[in-house]
Amino acid sequence: MTGDRPLPLSGIRVLDFGHIVAGPFCVRLLADLGADVIKVETATRQGRTGARRGQRPGGTNGRTPHLYHINRNRRSIDLNLKTERGLAIARRLIDKADVLVENFSSGVMERLGIGYGTLAKANPGLVYASMASFGQSGPRQGWTGMNVTLQACSGLMLATGAENDPPIGISNSWNDYIGGLHAAVAIVGALSKRRQTGKGCHLDVSQFEASVAMIGSLLFASAVTRRPPARLGGRSSTAAPQGCYRCAGEDQWCAISVQSDAQWQKLRALLGRDMRYDTLADRFAHHDAIDTAIEAWTGKLSPQEVERQLGEAGVPAASMRRANEIAATEEWRQVLRPLKEHGESGPKVIGLPFTFRGSAPREATEAPRMGASGNEALRDWLGLDEPAIAELMREEAV
Amino acid sequence: MARILDLTSLMGAYGTRLLAELGHDVLRIESLKGDSVRQEAPVLGGAPSPEAGAFHQFLNAGKRSAAIDLATEGGRKLLLALIAKADAAVVSLPLPLAEEKLLAANPDLVLARLDDGPPELCAYASAGLLAITGEPDGKPTMLGGHVPCAAVGVHVALATAAALFGKEASGKGQVVDVSAPQCLASLAEQVWVEYSASGEMMERLGSRGGITAVAGALPCADGHWMISVPPDPRGWANFVQLVPHPAFKDDGSLADEAMRRERKQEILDCIAEWSRQQKKNEIVEQAQSLHIPAAAVTNPLELIDDPQLLARGFLKPIDHPDFGRINFPVGALASMFQQAMSIAPTLGESTALILDELGYSVSEIHRLKDEGTVA
Repeated sequence: MTGDRPLPLSGIRVLDFGHIVAGPFCVRLLADLGADVIKVETATRQGRTGARRGQRPGGTNGRTPHLYHINRNRRSIDLNLKTERGLAIARRLIDKADVLVENFSSGVMERLGIGYGTLAKANPGLVYASMASFGQSGPRQGWTGMNVTLQACSGLMLATGAENDPPIGISNSWNDYIGGLHAAVAIVGALSKRRQTGKGCHLDVSQFEASVAMIGSLLFASAVTRRPPARLGGRSSTAAPQGCYRCAGEDQWCAISVQSDAQWQKLRALLGRDMRYDTLADRFAHHDAIDTAIEAWTGKLSPQEVERQLGEAGVPAASMRRANEIAATEEWRQVLRPLKEHGESGPKVIGLPFTFRGSAPREATEAPRMGASGNEALRDWLGLDEPAIAELMREEAV
Repeated sequence: MARILDLTSLMGAYGTRLLAELGHDVLRIESLKGDSVRQEAPVLGGAPSPEAGAFHQFLNAGKRSAAIDLATEGGRKLLLALIAKADAAVVSLPLPLAEEKLLAANPDLVLARLDDGPPELCAYASAGLLAITGEPDGKPTMLGGHVPCAAVGVHVALATAAALFGKEASGKGQVVDVSAPQCLASLAEQVWVEYSASGEMMERLGSRGGITAVAGALPCADGHWMISVPPDPRGWANFVQLVPHPAFKDDGSLADEAMRRERKQEILDCIAEWSRQQKKNEIVEQAQSLHIPAAAVTNPLELIDDPQLLARGFLKPIDHPDFGRINFPVGALASMFQQAMSIAPTLGESTALILDELGYSVSEIHRLKDEGTVA
């Protein structure tokens, strides 16, 4: 995708007070939509290195691999918000910002003196997004949440898996992504409203609610039936057979999803079994028997071979791809982008999974070392010259 | 607010719901029999069939519905008339009409094209997400409740909302291409980062999570609770206050996260031995008062009366014409923007009104109904 039309959020200034994944990921989405981002960090809080910490220190530009990816496309200024000077500089930047994103626990930004109420007086157009785990109100306002605990209490772990399975989650920072995505949608929506009213707002995003909303349909069902909804495992309620089937080799699996009677006939021919189940109703009624028959066939083949044979027959199937196999797929080729600093042969980062026709995607730049682009940020946003910046930063350092 | 036409499948329907939650006027264009989202189970008793699907009831809330047969000449003409008056159209491929025709009817249209890709489970497997969902020695599975579809939907909402914002500035629409397989791939970012940085492959962990040493869903007297013990020594000290197991009190070496990582299973077994006697909400309250991230593992039924969701307006008691008094999930953005969300529309509820707005006369509307163009 190429073109010279600016990306939709070009010219929008975003201040990132986020940490770990949820806040910085939300900001990265805004950056990829064209926004100009400054990350406000504090060297004294460097311990918050975040996702999958404890596994390996170091990394690139002082960031672990995960946070190096999450924090790309922004500048970094090192400000100690517990000093008056640091706070004053932060406030001058906030006055120039269109959007502020923070994912501290409820009340932290107020204690630092940069809560929404204070800032909105000087900058009424500011869209201020808070992303506390449970939001800024309610009986659980002060509760601590993490990805795994939020996956648990948002219903996700009991909506996943089959009946009688233990709670099952997903091993990545899923909940942070979902919170970040919802916050980004809310921010863009609030910017549109601001264009009409001139007024910004405080977006009180709750990561818990974002995750619950993802299974809103199951909540609706339970509200009516007063029963927990069925746990379907990998099965579908509209297509059969569907599931993950064991293949030859250790822990090898292939997903198969038969979408029509015709596709079933193709699969049936490959199974070489004497069974009919011509209608969807039949296949639902005998799903267990069909699964046994499918595994008798897939168990002798590699998942790649199952995928290939079913692909030729026009039956949807996909092998369970692990980390070492994903990059070759078409969807992965599309989302992997080079970094400006390292070129095509350098590390690849993940870009937006959508494109705006006529606009080139935002070039990816690597996450800066903490504080590395503070001067540049002050020059661009506050219009300060080098001596003024030097004086400001000297005082801050003191 | 913008006028948005919604012609999405299950992959995109949460996205257009979010656009309604932002306050946009979303009109769902359905076939005369109703769209595929209406067919998704669970199907609830108490309502006629096109209205009884739980996915329909949640995902189509806040939207209007017009039933138009796009296979007919009259139906396509009607769609173009609607396109001409719309700000945006969000459409699952294939498009009902050639893109040029849609854009000719409205050159300033924001047109979000969603490539649904293969079935949800297959896309989930290809993306790399299946390999990290499920019990380590059990069958891999995908996130339930069509959560992967909803995750695609949030991207659809973001792409469309951004293009609408761009249009407000420039006056010009834009075509946006959203790929469901790419959305799911992008959410597997950590799988790829971990592997490319260290050669390690993320795997299925059941409910364990990969961040702190001692984390997982453990049994209680009334279900499960989830614990993630903070990695620092103070976090452990607080934790031992919560779980006074002798094995923890007498072993100072466990204050070290690295040691806890080594003896993870043993520690989890001890915690489970204790928590089996406890009620989940009680221990979670205690844990939170000690600043320990803990949570009850809840199912959707428990959530429907959740005090936090009720207090913040995510759930709102309503009198539903078919289902009676229920706590209705308003939505994560609607509650924030205080956007009143109407209940999901009946099939074709707004067809006549829409035709009237387009200037069709009463007799023309009758004719379109009689000849089966609209319902």
